[in-house]
Amino acid sequence: MIKDFEHFAPKTLKEALTLLDKYQDEAKIICGGQSLLILMRQGLVAPEYLIDIKGISELSYIKSDGKGGLKIGALTTHRTIEKSSQMRDGFAVLAEMETRLASIQTRNWGTIGGNLCHGDPAGDPAPVLIALNATLKMASLKGERSLPVEDFTLDYFETALKTGELLTEITVPAPPAHTGTAYTKFNIIESDLATVGVAASITLGAGDSCQDIRIALGAAAATPMRAKKAEAVLKGKKISDALLAQAGETASTEADPISDMQASEEYRRELVKVLVPRISKEAMARAKKA
Amino acid sequence: MSEYSVIGKRVHRVDGPEKVTGSAKYTFDLVLPGMLYGKVLRSPHPHAKILKIDTRKAKRLVGVKAVVTGKDTLGHKQGIWRRFPELCDEEILCREKVRYIGDPVAAVAAIDEDTAEEALDLIDVEYEPLPAVFDPLEAIKEDAPQVHDGIELNININRHIEWGDVDEAFKKCDHIREDQFKCSSQAHVCMETHDAVVSYDYGGKMTVWTSTQSSYYIQRLMADMTGLREGDIRVIKPPTGGGFGSKFELDSAQFCAAILSMKLCKPVKIVLSREEEFTATKRRTPMYYFLKLGAKKDGTLLAKEARVITEGGAYTAMGATALYLTGFFSSFPYKYPNYRYDGYRVYTNTAVTSAMRGFGAPQSTFVGESQLDMMAEDLGIDPIEIRRKNGMTPNYEVPGQAFIQSCGLHQCLDKIEEHVKERGKLPPNHGIGVSAYGFMSGGIFNWFDTPYAFSAAVVRINIDGKVDLFTGACDIGQGSDTTLSMICAEELGVKLEDIRIHAADTGICPPDLGAWGSRETLMNGNAVKRAAAECKRQLLEFAAAKMAPNIAYDFDIKDRWVHLVDRPERGVSYFDIVKEAIRGKDGNAIMGRGHYTPHRKGMISPAYSFGVQAAEVAVDTETGRYKLVNVTTAHESGTVINPVGIEGQLEGAIMMAGGYGFCEDQPMDEGKILNPSIADYKLIRSLDMPETDILEIDTYEPEGPFGAKEAGEGLTNPTAGAIGNAVYKAVGVRINDLPITPEKVLKALKEKEKKKK
Amino acid sequence: MKKELKLKVNGQPYDIFVKPKTLLVEALRDHLALTGTKRGCNSSSCGACTIMLNGMAVKSCSILALQANGAEIVTIEGLAKGTELSPLQKAFLDHGSYQCGFCTAGMLMATTALLTENPKPTKQEIKEGIDGNICRCTGYNSIIRAVTAVVKGEYKEAK
Repeated sequence: MIKDFEHFAPKTLKEALTLLDKYQDEAKIICGGQSLLILMRQGLVAPEYLIDIKGISELSYIKSDGKGGLKIGALTTHRTIEKSSQMRDGFAVLAEMETRLASIQTRNWGTIGGNLCHGDPAGDPAPVLIALNATLKMASLKGERSLPVEDFTLDYFETALKTGELLTEITVPAPPAHTGTAYTKFNIIESDLATVGVAASITLGAGDSCQDIRIALGAAAATPMRAKKAEAVLKGKKISDALLAQAGETASTEADPISDMQASEEYRRELVKVLVPRISKEAMARAKKA
Repeated sequence: MSEYSVIGKRVHRVDGPEKVTGSAKYTFDLVLPGMLYGKVLRSPHPHAKILKIDTRKAKRLVGVKAVVTGKDTLGHKQGIWRRFPELCDEEILCREKVRYIGDPVAAVAAIDEDTAEEALDLIDVEYEPLPAVFDPLEAIKEDAPQVHDGIELNININRHIEWGDVDEAFKKCDHIREDQFKCSSQAHVCMETHDAVVSYDYGGKMTVWTSTQSSYYIQRLMADMTGLREGDIRVIKPPTGGGFGSKFELDSAQFCAAILSMKLCKPVKIVLSREEEFTATKRRTPMYYFLKLGAKKDGTLLAKEARVITEGGAYTAMGATALYLTGFFSSFPYKYPNYRYDGYRVYTNTAVTSAMRGFGAPQSTFVGESQLDMMAEDLGIDPIEIRRKNGMTPNYEVPGQAFIQSCGLHQCLDKIEEHVKERGKLPPNHGIGVSAYGFMSGGIFNWFDTPYAFSAAVVRINIDGKVDLFTGACDIGQGSDTTLSMICAEELGVKLEDIRIHAADTGICPPDLGAWGSRETLMNGNAVKRAAAECKRQLLEFAAAKMAPNIAYDFDIKDRWVHLVDRPERGVSYFDIVKEAIRGKDGNAIMGRGHYTPHRKGMISPAYSFGVQAAEVAVDTETGRYKLVNVTTAHESGTVINPVGIEGQLEGAIMMAGGYGFCEDQPMDEGKILNPSIADYKLIRSLDMPETDILEIDTYEPEGPFGAKEAGEGLTNPTAGAIGNAVYKAVGVRINDLPITPEKVLKALKEKEKKKK
Repeated sequence: MKKELKLKVNGQPYDIFVKPKTLLVEALRDHLALTGTKRGCNSSSCGACTIMLNGMAVKSCSILALQANGAEIVTIEGLAKGTELSPLQKAFLDHGSYQCGFCTAGMLMATTALLTENPKPTKQEIKEGIDGNICRCTGYNSIIRAVTAVVKGEYKEAK
C-alpha cells in the first residue's frame, strides 16, 4: 500500500530545487517512477512529499556539446535516446543498450536520469556511460557540480546526490578517434535486468595497439564499477586473445559480486571472465571501423 | 472427417468479442452496491503456535467493519479428498497453529482496500515459533519436527502401484540404470490472482462470484465449511483469468470473504495480491525421483521401478492426486511388463503443493524421458528407436490400471523422426532432444465423493430456434465454452451462433466437477452431446410426423435443415420444426438432459492422448546459456473439435513447460519463497519464446464426443525432458535437476572438462 | 488533499479529483469504471495495465494519475469505432490470440501503440513490442501472427 503524501509538480528546475531545499530529506523526487513506485508500494520508501519533476521540459533534451559530444537532459526518456538520430557512430552503443532495457512501456515513461539515481548496480545505462567516460551534472540551490558517472553510485541503491540536489544532465564526451564501444548483458530472460553487464570502450593506437581502454561492469559489485586492473592488462599493448583472456581473468578477480537467486558469486565471476574479452573484441572491431 | 459442419472449423471463440473489447467482466472487476473490501493476515512464521490474537485495535480503526479469526469459523478442516477425512487437514483460517509462511490467521473487511490493509497492521498476533522442517528428505527423519501432530515421519500419504514381477525381471535385464532426479516447484502465475466477491444476505443465502476452475467444488466445500446447505450457496464463475490447476480448491479469498460477509450481511470482495498469489496459494509439487530401469540389449524395456518423495507443504490439497498420477505416468507411454512405484508425500512447513497443469506428469516425463535417453545411449540405440520399440499402441491394457483405446504414439514418433532428419546436420553446439508423453482425458477417481454425475448438461431450445446450453463446465481460458458450444451445435445440427452457453453458475447449471485433469472436452463434451441428442430426438419425432416418410428412413439435422439421411434434399427448416414441436408439446420448451460418468474404463481415465516433442537448443559453451530455438510437437488428441483452441493450448503449454525446464523456480530460505513477484519469478516472454511447429496426427477416440480427447495438459509434459535431452545432444552434459539453468549447464561442462583431463 | 485531474480518455474529457497516491490504473478502473484495463502484478512487470498515453504505450500501474494530468489516453474500450472492431481486435479474434483474456487489453494496447509508431514492424519488432506483456495462456505466437496479418493489410480500418 502506498502511504499518502503531498504532491508537487514543479514546472521549472528552479521551482523543483526550491521545493527540494524546503523539504530536504522528507521529500523524494519522482520522475518516470518506474522503480520508485514499486518501492513505495512495498512500503520501502514512504516520503511525506513527492516532488514530481516529470513535467520539467527544460531537462528533457539531447543536444551537442559543441565538441562532438552529447548533452542529455536527465529527464530524457529511454525511448527518446533509443530512437534519437544522434545516437550514431560512437554513441550507437547507448541506443543498443536502451533496446534491451526492460520493456518499451517502461522505456517510454522511464528516464535515464531516474535510472541512474535509482542506483541499482544492475542498471544498464551506468556501465555504458562509464565506458564512454560520461559525467553527471547535479544542481542545487547552492549551485552546480559535476561528477564522473563511475563515482556517482556509492553503494546498493545509494548515490552521491546530496540532500537538495537534483541530477540534471549527462555529458558524454566525443570519443577519441579510433574508439569503439560495446555493451552486453547476460541474463536468462532477454529483457530482464543484467545478471552481469559488461561495457568496454577501446581506443586503438598505431599498429592496432590498445591506446586506451575503459571496462565497466554492471551487477558485479555493489555499484557499477570500472575494471581498472583488467584495463591495465590491455592498455598500451597489442591486443591478443591471450591478453584478452588475461583481462577477463583479472576483471573476474577484481569484481566483487554477490550470490543471489539469479546467480552465485562464482558464476557471476565466470560470466565477467567470459564477457570482458568478448565485448572488448567487439569494441575493438568497432574501433577499427571508427 | 469433413462431414462435420461445425467441428474442426476455425471459429471465433464464443467469448471473443467481450474479451477483445475489454468488456468481459472478471471477478476482479466486480463492484456491488455497499461492497466492502477484505484483506487476509498471514503467518510470518513457517511453523508456530498461535497463543493470542488481539483484534481490538484493528476493529477500532475508522472504516473497519469486521475482523475475523479462526474462532469465527466452525473450526472445520477441509480438503478436496473428502472421502478421506484424515486428508481434510486445512482450516484456512488457522485456530491454533500455523504451518507455513502465508497461512491465514485473520481477515478484515473495511470500506476500502487501504483501510483493510492498514487494519492488518493493527492485529496483534502472539506466536510461539516451533521448530520447522522444509525439505521432505529431512522431514521423514525420526527426529524431525511434526507438521501435523500424530503423523508418523510426516508422511501425509503413500501410494503404491505394481504389476508384473519387477525383481525377477531386473535379473533378466542386460543393462540396468539407476538415476536420481529433482523436480522443482513452479507457480501457476494466473494473470488474474485468486479473488472472490461473496454476498451473504439476511435471508441466509450466499452468492459467490469467483475466479475458479470448479464452481461446484467451491459450492460443496463452502457448504462443508460454513454449515450452510449446498443449495443456499450459489457460485458463479465470471470470465476467469487463468487457472492451470490453482483454482479448484476452496481458497483464502473465497473463504475469508464468506466468513466476513456472513458476519455483516454485506458483499465482501477479496483479491489476493501478486505476492500472496506466489506465497500463499498452491504450487507445483517438487519431487525427488529415484529411478531404476532395466532393458535387454536390443532396447526392450523389461522393468522399471520409481520411488518418489514429494514435498507436500503444509496440507494435503490435491497433492495426493499428484502423487498418484506421477506414479502412474512414470510408466508412460511405454509397455512395461513389470513396473513398481512407491510414492510418499511428505508434509513440510512450506507453501502447499498441489495440482498444476500436467498434475505430476511433467515431473515423471522429465525424469523418465531423460533416463530413457541415457539408456538408449548406453545401449547404442537411437532415442526414437527405443521409444518406438516400447511405445504404447492402440487397445493396450496397462496391467490392472487402464485400458488405452486410441493411441497415435507411433505416428507421432514417425513424424518427429522425419522432422529431425529434415533439420539435417546442426550447427555446432545445437542439439535436438526428443521426449514422448501421454496424458489422461479426465480422471475417473472420485475422492471428492460427489454423488452427482461427473459431468452434466441441459439443452433448451427456444421458440426462435436459439439454444440455451447449461453446463457446469468452467472456461478458465482453455476454451471449453467454445468447444462445448461447437459440440452442441454439431449434434443438434445448427450453427454455432444458434448456441448460447450458460456455464459454471451453480444456481442454473447442473453440477460438473470442473476444469481439471483435462476432462472437459471428453467428459462434459459427452454430457453436452447427449443432452443435445435428446433435444434432437424430440424434434425428429415431430419431423417424422410432419413429413410422414416410409418409417424405414432415418432423420437428421444439419445446418438447420431437418432431413432424411438418405434423401437429404427432402426436409424442412429446423426453425419450423422447433415452432411446431413446442406447440405440439403444449408450449413446453424442448429440453434435453445429458450426463456422463465413466464406467468400466479402468482406474485412471476413459481415454489417453499421446505425443512426441522435439526441442532444439543452441548452447553457448562459455556461459552455459542456451536458447530455445524451436519446439516441434507431433501430437494426437482424437478428433479436433476446435483447431484454433488446440494451437493455443499447444503454444501456451510450451511457454509454461519450457519455463519449467528453462527458468521457472521458487527458491526458498527457511520456508520463505524468495521471488514472490513477476519481476523476480522468471517467465518466458515473447523474445524468449521459441518457434513452435505442430504436426497433427489423426486419431479417433471411441469414448470421446465425436472421437475427441484431451489437448490441454498433456502438452505440458514433454518439454522439460526434451530440453534436457537437447542440451545433452548439444554439449554432452546431463542436468538431472530442474530447472536446467545456464549456471548448472556451465558447471557440468566444467566438470566434464576436468574429467577429460 | 485530493487534487484535480483532467484527462481525455477515449476522446471523452474527464475532470476528477484523486488522492496524489492514486495510480493511473486506479483512476481509470476505480474512478472512471473503465475496467477493461487490468492489473496483474503491480510491479511494472506483466503489462496487463498497458494503455496509450499521448500515443505511447505505458504501464498504467507505474504512473501516478496526476502525472497524466492533461494527457490523452486510449484504453481498450477506445479501440473499436462504435461497434466496429479495430483491425487488431479482428485479427486477435481470427487467430485466437487470447485465451483467459486477462492480458488481452494490455496486448492490444501494446500492439496498437506499436503499429501507430511503426506500421510495418518486422517479426522481431513485433516480439519486442509485446515483450513487456506476460501472457500465461497463448505462448505469444498467435499474437504475433495476428499482428503480422494486420501488418500485411489483411484487415481494414473501420471508417
